[in-house]
Amino acid sequence: MIECNNLTHYYGRKLVYENLNFHVREGSILGLLGKNGTGKTTTINILNGFLQPRNGECLIFGENTQHLSPQTKAKIGFLIEGHIQYSFMNIRQIEKFYSGFYPNWKPAPFWELMSKLNVTPMQKISTMSCGQRSQVALGLILAQDPDLLILDDFSMGLDPGYRRLFIDYLREYAKAENKTIFTTSHIIQDMERLIDDMLVLDFNGVLAQTSVNEFMGSFKRFDFVLENDKADLKKASFVVNLDKVKNKVELYTYSSESIVKKYLDDNNIKVSNFAQVKMELEDAFIGLTGKY
Amino acid sequence: MMWKSIVYKEWLKIRWFFVGYTLLGILGIGYLFLTVKHSFAFNGGKNTWNIVLFLGHQFFSPLKYVPLAGGLTIAIAQYFPETVNKRIKLTFHLPLGENKILLMMHAFGSISLLLSFLIFFGLFTGFSLIYFPVQMVADSLISIFPWFLAGFSAYFLVALIVLEPAWKFRLFYSLVGGFFLTIYYTSAVTAAYGPANTGLFVLTAFLSIALLFSAHRFRKGEM
Amino acid sequence: MEKISRYLLVFIAILTLAVILPKLYWMAFEKPVRKPFILYSCINDDFMIHRISEKTWEDTKGNPYTREEYEQKLPMMFLKQLLSSGTMPDSIKGIALDMRDITGAKSFFRLKVNEIDAPAPALYPLFESQSGRAMLDLPDDFFRITWRIDFIDAATNKVLEEKSQMFSGALYQKGFSFPAKKISGLATPRKSIDEGYLIMDSKDQLFHLKMIKGFPYVKKIDVPEDLKFRHISCVDFKNKDFYAYLFSDKNEIYILTQDDYKLIKWPIDGFEASNCDLKIWGDLFNYTVIIEAEDHIKTIALSPDYQVVNTYTENWKLKEEQTEGKIFASLFPAQVSMTSDNSKFIRFYFSLSKRLNWIFFNLLLFAIHFIWLYRRKAKFRNHLADLGMVAVCGIFGFIAIHFFQNKFFE
Repeated sequence: MIECNNLTHYYGRKLVYENLNFHVREGSILGLLGKNGTGKTTTINILNGFLQPRNGECLIFGENTQHLSPQTKAKIGFLIEGHIQYSFMNIRQIEKFYSGFYPNWKPAPFWELMSKLNVTPMQKISTMSCGQRSQVALGLILAQDPDLLILDDFSMGLDPGYRRLFIDYLREYAKAENKTIFTTSHIIQDMERLIDDMLVLDFNGVLAQTSVNEFMGSFKRFDFVLENDKADLKKASFVVNLDKVKNKVELYTYSSESIVKKYLDDNNIKVSNFAQVKMELEDAFIGLTGKY
Repeated sequence: MMWKSIVYKEWLKIRWFFVGYTLLGILGIGYLFLTVKHSFAFNGGKNTWNIVLFLGHQFFSPLKYVPLAGGLTIAIAQYFPETVNKRIKLTFHLPLGENKILLMMHAFGSISLLLSFLIFFGLFTGFSLIYFPVQMVADSLISIFPWFLAGFSAYFLVALIVLEPAWKFRLFYSLVGGFFLTIYYTSAVTAAYGPANTGLFVLTAFLSIALLFSAHRFRKGEM
Repeated sequence: MEKISRYLLVFIAILTLAVILPKLYWMAFEKPVRKPFILYSCINDDFMIHRISEKTWEDTKGNPYTREEYEQKLPMMFLKQLLSSGTMPDSIKGIALDMRDITGAKSFFRLKVNEIDAPAPALYPLFESQSGRAMLDLPDDFFRITWRIDFIDAATNKVLEEKSQMFSGALYQKGFSFPAKKISGLATPRKSIDEGYLIMDSKDQLFHLKMIKGFPYVKKIDVPEDLKFRHISCVDFKNKDFYAYLFSDKNEIYILTQDDYKLIKWPIDGFEASNCDLKIWGDLFNYTVIIEAEDHIKTIALSPDYQVVNTYTENWKLKEEQTEGKIFASLFPAQVSMTSDNSKFIRFYFSLSKRLNWIFFNLLLFAIHFIWLYRRKAKFRNHLADLGMVAVCGIFGFIAIHFFQNKFFE
């Protein structure tokens, strides 16, 4: 459904990424994760046709995102960062406005969501809170009923309650109707509840591209205490990331426990309190990308 | 069918500005002719005609910047809300060609402006014909025509400038646009603009698609 | 379509810059031309030249004069001054000077070049030429000549049918071919007497129209077949020798004598109506015709029977020939202006620089842009039009294509 090939982009002379390749299968929910400045916004902008990459292309439904046909655009639902909408309209007006563009417009889910909010139909969007606006945005997407949803940071500015509501609604909707979602967010816990697949960017390019289950199954954290706090483990090939404070170590790796232990023995590194620590996606993400 | 939604959105944005501006303009024209009526009553018809014909009195001069104000007002009312938080991204996402949408929005704004201008033009001509013979009215229409063209140009230029993503280029466009508008306002005797009006009309028409340029830059990711 | 949008913007930018940059340049660097003030001396039989800004007075041979000496040579002009200083002569050239003769013979006429190519008034007032009153009154109605002559009452904006029909009939009877091409006259009540209007009809025939005691006076004036007038200026001189100065489209100057309507050609050459200002001083002894062009002033003194007695010409450099003009031509290929000194109409006046020095500057800008493109590794094929515009339009093109960039169009 989405296919990006050899994406390369610079900001001025600064390289964002080079030869980025990924695809999103139909019916899957892909989360784009990465620290600030790793190119998440760039990717979203390219997907939405708001940025021309220096090299490479993105295809949605087989069409280049720089020139999407109207028919294809009708099948894509779009959420702007911050749930930006035309705030000079009120709820009734905005529903009326968008309904004119989509022949398969379904007003029911929109109004259902609106009834849960404490708002009148005549209330201007500019007077609503961030959370209420996110509901409006969600309702509009549900009413449009697109095959593909592209959400840019759906959790920004939302209270935990609204975030939870958003995610639950979205996931249920997507799975029930076999929708495809491409999303980014800062809040990894939210992503964990929502996504099937993940694409992790860092400053050098793709760090991981896999399903969440696979990742959580293979990416491990081992904590232990070094006897000799000068011992250097960084050279070990299996080390993805290492966090060392005095002699307490957090080791992140894809390798098995036995390989790690074997390395420690081979290099005569004595440790104590060795344990594998169970991680949530957020811990794993930080472990993968580092704290800095 | 989709154009109806677009018209709906644009109307929501400009309706109060449009109504307010048109009413103010009508009041302005009414005031203008009150001054003419006063001159006829206090100076006499022949003296009023005399200063208009031979002493360079341009009784219509209060209208000078009225169309320009309209162009600026409608353009800002229409396009400024699109650039706050880059809301225009929403418009570009709609299932229509991007240029098509822009031109529809632009056409709506232009037609609204045209409607206001036709009302002013019509009222002005009607009132003038009460006080002046058709030749004098024709000469004054020749003089005010470039001011109406300037109103359209201002509308087109503000759309171009507001949609431009980079501040540096907004400044450049503003400089060029500002100086360009002075071409419509060269100080001149009544009916002097006659030979230039056709050329000015063509130039104004050229500007009608200017906004596509900055919108294109926006969509290519210019910062 | 975005490409077209860009090219149209670039075009408008080039046009705007071609208007603004030269204008700013001249505003900063143009030097005023110090035209001398020249009169003909009936005492010297020579022209007296007053250079106003240098505060000098001299004759054509360069002999200096003090201000008083200068005024002594021009008694007709400085009558009041000489009378009050007691230096007014009693006679000149054997002719005894009578104050009334002197003041009665004085006349001044001025035609600025932009008065000819200018919008014409829509209507004219036809004064009652024999009202019996000392001062003229503005009439209550104004006339226009379309398919007939209409008199429209100003207070009511209504056509006066009877009067219109009466005058239309009078014109028609004299062979007037409607509509009028040109109506010339003095439309102001501030004149000593009303002599109506000289009107050219659609067949270039010339008529004299007056209103006498409310009734039309129309006279068809005999004009030779091949004589066409470009402009007619009616005059109100005390001496009442002629009704008007007439300017033919061959740049000849005629006068139309009063009462017998004879067209007399003045032996003036060197006058070009399209770019010269004209001043004509008349006095008891001479007519002095002063032709002011962009780069010279030519004065011709005529005797009272219109024969040339003396001429004098002074030249100076056009502003294009001065240093500022040369620098201008090195920077700008052309200038566009909405106004012209030679017309009151607003047009797009385009003037190419007289020298071609700007070509070097254009090539320099071309090279700069070329290097700029090269540094950015641009595909030159996409920038040919831009490079062409820099080459042809120079600084205007260069600025325009950088303000409205050719980015994202590959």
